[in-house]
This record gives sequence, C-alpha cells and structure tokens, in this order.
Amino acid sequence: MTDDEKFFERLRGDGASLRYRVDDATLARIRARIQDRVTSKVTLAELLASWFRPLAAGLAAVAIAAAIGLSIDRNDSTFGEQEVEIVMGGDTYLVGD
Amino acid sequence: MANDDPLEARVIARVQDGDAEAYDTLVSKYLPRVVAIAWGVVRNAHDAEDLAQEAFVRAYQNIGRFRTSDPFGPWIGRIVTNLALDVMKHRRKFRHEELAGTEPAARRDDADVMAASNDIGARIDAAIEELPEMQRLVARLHLVEEMEHVEIAAITGLSDGTVRSHLSHARAKLREKLADLYD
Repeated sequence: MTDDEKFFERLRGDGASLRYRVDDATLARIRARIQDRVTSKVTLAELLASWFRPLAAGLAAVAIAAAIGLSIDRNDSTFGEQEVEIVMGGDTYLVGD
Repeated sequence: MANDDPLEARVIARVQDGDAEAYDTLVSKYLPRVVAIAWGVVRNAHDAEDLAQEAFVRAYQNIGRFRTSDPFGPWIGRIVTNLALDVMKHRRKFRHEELAGTEPAARRDDADVMAASNDIGARIDAAIEELPEMQRLVARLHLVEEMEHVEIAAITGLSDGTVRSHLSHARAKLREKLADLYD
C-alpha cells in the first residue's frame, strides 16, 4: 500500500465519524409524513377538480382572446364609419363628403 | 447494478401493484442513508429531512417505471442527490437576498455542529467543504458514506471514470490541506 493509499484509508476511517445520523424519533416522524403522503386517497371532488381546472383555464383563455378580438374588430369598423371634421378658415369640411 | 435482494424486489413489485403500505419497508430501510446524503449536500438538518421526504414521495410517484431487477438504493440516492443539488443551485442564485451578511457556518444548527465536533473530524469536514461542488459530493460519498465508485456513479449519474477523476483531484487537494494530520 502506497503512502497515498494509507493516507486515504486513514482519512476514510476518520471521515466516517462525520456521517450525519438521524435520531429514531426524527426518522419515525419523516416515515409517518411520507406514508401519509403516499397513502392519502384522492377524493372524487379533487379528481374532478384536477381534470376540470386546466380545462376551465383553457376555456377562459379562449373566451378572453375572443373578446379582445371582437373589441378590436368593432373599433376598426367604427373608425371606418365615422366622419372626420376639419375646420379651415372658418369653413367646416367633413371628410367623406 | 442488479438487485440481489429478492425480498426488496418483491416489495417493489407489491408497491407497483398499488400496495402503498408496503412502501414503508423501503422507506425504513433507506431513510437514514437518504437523509445523510441530503445533509452532506445541503448541510442543514431541516432541509435534509424535507428533501428525504420529497425524494421518497417522488420515487413512489414514479415507481411504476422502476425495474424490480434494479436495486432501489442507488435510485433513491440519485433522486435525493438531484433534489439537493437543485436546492444548492437555488441558494447560490439567491445568495445575496437569503444570507444578507450571514456567513454559511452561522446557518448550521446544533446537529450540524455535532457532526464535526472532534478536532480531526472538524479539519476533514472543513477541507471537504472547500472542494469544488462535484469533488465535494463524490469525496463525501466515498469518505463519509463509505460508498464505492460504482455506487457513487449510480447515485450521481456520473460515469465511473468521472467519479474516479473527481476523487483523484479531491484526494490530492485533501492530502495537501491535511498533510500534517497523519504525519
């Protein structure tokens, strides 16, 4: 065994004392929390909510997009129908007249 | 790595069949080591416990994809290591806001201090902590958790060659820092 290997072996022997050890009470608490999470039953309401939540969000997004689209469309058509008034030298002209 | 524990393979098969209660057998077998691995990375008892819990829940959620012929230990070790490294990445990103002038050592709790209570232990601990992240992780798994290269490779997702390379660099640096310790 080389000096380097001997050094590392001794280092490993002392390093093992640095291992983090959890007490039994803490282990039991973590185990209980894990078991609680993996065995918790999903209720019908939660199941339906998990399915319908993204669907509702998608529908809402489509509705908002459609509302914005209609609003822009309406503004465009309103602008086209309005007459523009220009006053020059006391005379009033309507564009489109 | 193959699973040479037929009992464990049977337990995993039961969990895959929907027996959530059977999962506790795996949890009780691997929990101490999983918490220790997490603590080695995040160096905080509460975070390590939370990470261990999260790792086991995620493993359970993905157990259907797990092959019963594989050992469970390296898989859960890898999950918790990835989670812990993510936490460290997040901490580095928000270090300025989080620490606000507090040194990392001051954030350790009593359990953390106890782990390095003796002089030699404290020296080794400090020397390991000064290593770059992946060398630190590999060195800690090898020196503290007493894992061999193959197991470290399975847990970290690194190749055996990369593990050996990290360990070789870590070994050289530790020898330099701790030269006086065993002379």
